[in-house]
Amino acid sequence: MANITCTDIVKAYGAHPVIEGLQLDIPDHEFVVFLGPSGCGKSTMLRMIAGLEEVTGGRIAIGGTDVTDLPPGERGVAMVFQSYALYPHMSVRDNITFGLRRQGASRAEIEPRLTQVAELLGLEKFLDRRPRNLSGGQQQRVAMARAMIKTPQVFLFDEPLSNLDAKLREKLRTEIRKIHMQLKTTTIFVTHDQLEAMTIADRIVLMRDGKIEQMGSPDEIFERPASRFVADFIGTPAMNFVHAEIVAGDRLTAHGGGMTLHLSPQAFTTLKPGQRVELGLRPARMDLCEPGAENALSGKVVLVENMGAEGQVITEVAGQEISFVTQAFRSLSPGDSVCFAISPDHIHAFDPETGDSLRQE
Amino acid sequence: MGKLISATLTRAVLALLIVLALGPILWTVLGAFKELRDIVTPVPKLVFTPTLDNFATILRNPTIRDGLLHSVIVVSAAVLIGAVLGIPAAHTLARHARKWGDDVQFFVLSLRFMPPVAIAIPFIVIYLDLGIYDTLFGLVLVYLIVTVSTVIWLAVPAFERVPRDIEEAAAMEGCGPAEIFWRFSLPVAAPSLFGALVFTFVLVWNELLLALTLAAQNATLPVVAASITSLGKEVPWGVINAATVLLVLPPLVFIGLLMGLLNTMVRSGPK
Repeated sequence: MANITCTDIVKAYGAHPVIEGLQLDIPDHEFVVFLGPSGCGKSTMLRMIAGLEEVTGGRIAIGGTDVTDLPPGERGVAMVFQSYALYPHMSVRDNITFGLRRQGASRAEIEPRLTQVAELLGLEKFLDRRPRNLSGGQQQRVAMARAMIKTPQVFLFDEPLSNLDAKLREKLRTEIRKIHMQLKTTTIFVTHDQLEAMTIADRIVLMRDGKIEQMGSPDEIFERPASRFVADFIGTPAMNFVHAEIVAGDRLTAHGGGMTLHLSPQAFTTLKPGQRVELGLRPARMDLCEPGAENALSGKVVLVENMGAEGQVITEVAGQEISFVTQAFRSLSPGDSVCFAISPDHIHAFDPETGDSLRQE
Repeated sequence: MGKLISATLTRAVLALLIVLALGPILWTVLGAFKELRDIVTPVPKLVFTPTLDNFATILRNPTIRDGLLHSVIVVSAAVLIGAVLGIPAAHTLARHARKWGDDVQFFVLSLRFMPPVAIAIPFIVIYLDLGIYDTLFGLVLVYLIVTVSTVIWLAVPAFERVPRDIEEAAAMEGCGPAEIFWRFSLPVAAPSLFGALVFTFVLVWNELLLALTLAAQNATLPVVAASITSLGKEVPWGVINAATVLLVLPPLVFIGLLMGLLNTMVRSGPK
């Protein structure tokens, strides 16, 4: 087990830079998720840590050892691929134990470890089968067993659940998390699915265009997004954005798009009257209210989306679509007038030009 | 009812096609075991006393025996060396030199554009000067142009179909490039490579023109078989049939052997 330190990482294909000057510190035992839209460099970053991709500049250290110039096999890392990458010409048993046999481990040494990982992942029955005779979920378990049996310092997962159906993805996600709690091996997990990232991570590294946009716990990322991009990327349904202007008064108030909203004065200490802001309103933080309540918005229901326990209500407020989530969605139908509100503490404000969060605390 | 008729019709057509395809081959095999008078009867005979005389004639004939031996040596050597040189080259082109891969692949194919007649005559002169005219070595050398280029041409796509992830997973386990090639890329691509080798084998096994021009005493079987027709006053049909069977047999045996070899190679991982 080990910590990972990436210093000034640069990656360029020809003259085209993909990652520029990236700094990253991952402490021992942590489960880190690289999250971002496709093409943001998260997979490239993972492959550079694995040693499958050369770094153009900067150093990578694992457990205090500089591994930048070491081949993948000597870095003490194990990787699980999106396509599973099982060896089709070997049985499941041979797939899992190949690495150990290659290192010349004895049968007596391999057998108990094989039994252990096979039990952990429920693969005992499949050991003599070929990978092509397994389902996608079973294949991914074999790939995980193959990574685990070597007891590496670091686990790398490259979108391992993307090829599975939703139900299985959820199940394996929980399993991966449980296994991490048991083994405590430092893990990097790449995904473009924000829900997957939120549920599985100790810490999320949100990337955009080869740079780290924000790094923090799922709660920090969700509650205090550092930029409009992060706020927009995280959370389902997606955040509502409203252009507004701070108005003078005894309370910190923003007015725009036909809405007047009070903001938390503790969170936004630098906002001045006349300043233009972009407000962010999370649908999940709003709910139905009595007319005249604080920060009440009134609009006309456009669409109600049933999500089971709760529903997303899309409304039109002064010509702009604003959505919110409520459990009482069954009493609403398109055309109804509704009143809903958000607490001042849950309103985000971003600089309309840079997209940076204006929150101070 | 209509279904039954169409199914029966389909089968009948299929059966007819199979008979059409296999009929001549079967007739040739039968002919190889017939005496001449059983072959040249106006009414074709299906029931006859089989004889091995035709095969005996061929195998007792030193020219034919030598031709067979030369063919086996020359073709095996050319295909084997072609595979040893061509398969690693193809893997390198597919994986490490994709930038030039298409150009190299086209160049290699362009070697096959040349009509053999065009190179046969210059080759005679060169071979005479080098003193390798009418030698098995000379034939292997000229066949290598065919085998290496064909193997590369067919093996590059075979290696491109090997998932890159598998090679990367092997690299993660600590395998170097040579080990990855030998233990992963080669076994995974083996079925396609096998097809490439068989195709190459058949290509040179049946080659007539270069063998005819570059060898005299050391001729290969197609050359000898072509000359059998002028063996006696009457056409020795039985002998020709037997020669054909012998000519077809080695590729079949070779394919069988290779298939078995590849199967064991694919099954066994590292021990």
